[in-house]
Amino acid sequence: MSTVIATEPSGRWLGRFDAMPPLAWLALQAAALWPHWRWAAARVMDGSDDPLGIAALLALLLVVAKLEPQLRGAPKPGWLVLSLFASAGATLAVFAAPPLIGALLAALAMASGLRSFMPSGQAVLPMAGLAVLSLPVVSSLQFYAGFPLRVVTAQLSTWLLQALGFAAERSGTAMQVEGRLVIVDAPCSGVQMVWMAYFCACAVAAFSGLRDRQLLARLPWVGVIVLGGNVLRNSVLVALEAQRDHVSEAVHQGVGLVVLTLVCAGVVWVIRGGHDAHI
Amino acid sequence: MTRPLLPLHPLTRTGRVMWCIALSLFSAALMLFWSPARADDSEAPKAESPYFAVNSSDPGTDRLPLKSTHVDVHISGVIADVTVTQHYRNEGQRAIEARYLFPGSTQAAVHAMSVRLGDRLLTARIKEKQQARIEYEAAKKEGKTSALLEQHRPNVFEMNVANILPGDDVAVELRYTELLTPHDAQYGFVFPTVVGPRYNSPARAEGNGAAIGGAYLKSGEPSQTAFTLRVTLDTPVAVKEIASPSHEVMVDGAGTWHAVVSLKPTEVPANNRDFILNYRLAGDRIESGLMLFRGPDDGGENFFLAMIEPPKAIATKQINPRDYIFVVDISGSMHGYPLDTAKVLLRNLIGGLRASDTFNVMLFSGSNRMLSPTSVPATRANIEQAIKTIDAMGGSGSTEIVPALKRVAALPKADDVSRSVIFVTDGYVSVEAEVFQLIRQNLNQSNVFAFGIGSSVNRHLIEGMARAGQGEAFIVTKPEQAADQAERLRKIIESPVLTQVKARFEGLDVYDVEPAQLPDVLGGRPVMVFGKWRRDDSQAGLPVNAKLIVEGRTADGQYRNELATAGREDQTSSALRHLWARQRIAALSDQEALEGNGAQKPAITQLGLTYSLLTQYTSFIAVDQRVRNPNPSLTPVVDQPSPMPEGVSNFAIGAEVPSTPEPGAWLALLVVIGIVVATLWSRRRN
Repeated sequence: MSTVIATEPSGRWLGRFDAMPPLAWLALQAAALWPHWRWAAARVMDGSDDPLGIAALLALLLVVAKLEPQLRGAPKPGWLVLSLFASAGATLAVFAAPPLIGALLAALAMASGLRSFMPSGQAVLPMAGLAVLSLPVVSSLQFYAGFPLRVVTAQLSTWLLQALGFAAERSGTAMQVEGRLVIVDAPCSGVQMVWMAYFCACAVAAFSGLRDRQLLARLPWVGVIVLGGNVLRNSVLVALEAQRDHVSEAVHQGVGLVVLTLVCAGVVWVIRGGHDAHI
Repeated sequence: MTRPLLPLHPLTRTGRVMWCIALSLFSAALMLFWSPARADDSEAPKAESPYFAVNSSDPGTDRLPLKSTHVDVHISGVIADVTVTQHYRNEGQRAIEARYLFPGSTQAAVHAMSVRLGDRLLTARIKEKQQARIEYEAAKKEGKTSALLEQHRPNVFEMNVANILPGDDVAVELRYTELLTPHDAQYGFVFPTVVGPRYNSPARAEGNGAAIGGAYLKSGEPSQTAFTLRVTLDTPVAVKEIASPSHEVMVDGAGTWHAVVSLKPTEVPANNRDFILNYRLAGDRIESGLMLFRGPDDGGENFFLAMIEPPKAIATKQINPRDYIFVVDISGSMHGYPLDTAKVLLRNLIGGLRASDTFNVMLFSGSNRMLSPTSVPATRANIEQAIKTIDAMGGSGSTEIVPALKRVAALPKADDVSRSVIFVTDGYVSVEAEVFQLIRQNLNQSNVFAFGIGSSVNRHLIEGMARAGQGEAFIVTKPEQAADQAERLRKIIESPVLTQVKARFEGLDVYDVEPAQLPDVLGGRPVMVFGKWRRDDSQAGLPVNAKLIVEGRTADGQYRNELATAGREDQTSSALRHLWARQRIAALSDQEALEGNGAQKPAITQLGLTYSLLTQYTSFIAVDQRVRNPNPSLTPVVDQPSPMPEGVSNFAIGAEVPSTPEPGAWLALLVVIGIVVATLWSRRRN
């Protein structure tokens, strides 16, 4: 293999660019998209969103660190072009779209940029998922998806409790169980559980090297498990509230954590293909 | 060979490029025409119901602009002259508009307001309410510092101060006069400090006026507004037994003709309850008599006030069968201490019934229920049953007083039975006018007695119900007062003092006399008559020589009392102008509540403008003519929060409904990370 040595200054600069490690390219791209990260940081700092995204970001960085020895010097043009378009879209979005849309495009641009340096056949979806989850999305999810989730949860809980012999009725997102009013308000919507479950799915997939197609096929089941888990959690707590004067905070936390453990176990089981899944 | 439907299949290299370009163009177009929704609540109407104040994340805005309230009271004889000074100071970095809902005495005639801004003094003018609001909004938009004082109810006012710049200290001073009516020879001055959180019924009728909202601190959270109060008493005879059942006070000059009372300094401002001051005059006298005020010679009006001490109560020999209906408020605002006080009161009231009496109890909040379908005899067993039911109740829910009243009015009653309806409530509703109207129209065959329970009750409702129902108002602030008040009611019912009361002047041409019809005297309150008198030009320069004759019936027979006017002229009693007008406005407002449709609006407005009085149709406005705020449109409105009245729980604003929240975010995240790590660990081991 022959090496071409540039003699012109411009050629020497180009050579240095070519010699830059992939992580430096990614760092440059991240720096170019800094307004989005600044917005995300501000939203976490001012308390308008939970700082859960930090966990997803750390998981993503761990995945990148693990992949770093395999990253190629020559990026794949297709993914690079996609990354370029996404970056341009994110930049345009600063002027024309809500900040969350811009940040989502920026996260996808970073994921595409990373994919362009990865060897063929490597999955990108878990990385893209972790990048999106690292953004402050919980409040927006709560705003847009919270109410439908609350209605569905309340309705399914009502049916479940009726099947178990309780006198239950739903009105909007409130439930009348055994003559007591219990509301399924925003903190009960299950949006946090949605985030936890998808984080669990993406992290397990990223570290296990699950292919994109497999992950894509299994993700809908994650949604079903989350919904089922939230209905179960809600039903247990509503039944307790209907039977006692006051249910302590510890009981609420305990039931919530047990159900979350079951949901995540189910997610791991599904993501790992069912047959060989065990914790 | 057939041509493909799409000339470029998406999976060919050129097709993929074209597909990407098309998607990019589509995305770009979407982004360019995207019109993001933005939250803008600048024009949002203010909350119509009380709410808990929320701390803002914007540190540049001062959310507690009212720094102090100072009250200076001068009581001379039976007239209290009160000056309230509210200090607003903006310690933030942004200009603000402050809005503050505060209470006043039910009898207050607010007649002056001024605003001190630095070294400038602005005197407020009285204007028609709508006009004043328009002027205020215009001044606010122009960036001028301005203040507007509006009346929502005779005892609920709203102060708006626009364009308070950072560092500004705006002192708003308002003045009112009030007539102190003694009761059983005891005088009481009350200064309410907080408007209790009112329940605004969705079915509220138009005639009740605007809903009453306002921001509140949580129960037990102390106010950041300093509160100081000083009362100076000047009496014709020595004053004695000066005491405050509500506050710790320092008294200087007790037993003399000049006494000064001030609040003891406390760490926490004592502005979460009514300030109540009671005192007596030496010899248990009351300031009875006739007071004449001669207006200016150039056609000014002359006023009089007569206060006649009632005869001693004597129990009637003939006792009619009596039926008592107790109507008890068990809404959220009564939860806890107020309801405990109400229970003690009811045990005393019901426990003191005679065996020949009958009674029933209605408990109401969002709905209402009766103890039994019809009244039951006051036997020991029935009384025990009623007390057991009352003991079992807890306060929650809304305060639908109007349906409760309608149900009471519909209860059948035998002709020979004398019925007393006894309401027990804190009065935290905003349907006063509708309640008064219902009582006048439907309970005119009964005597209505209203017990206000709590540290800061809605006295307008309690006193108004008693007035409309030809009864008496009682305020019980503590359980230990319950027995005395129950005994007082028993005495009043058994021993009406004076009925068929009439008052007439001889030798004096009087007109515009208030009240037009004198009510029966039930308790130990004096008979009061306000009015105007015409001068006799032939007697110019001479003192008025006439007499007032009051007649009526007592248990002993006919009653007659005469008061001579000679030597009763007092040129310092100019407050009679305002007190007469205030009385007149109250009478017109009562009439308007009956007739509806704002029938008395022109008359009340005219009285307000003529006598410079704050009314439901007139407001005080002061505008600084300098433009001080360059960005008035960016000025946030800050609702000054009031403390929750003492003893009132957070249930008054909203009961906590159980919900099923998810576990804490960090705990949940720890669980998930644990599962992920365990999964990967087990995978590596395998």
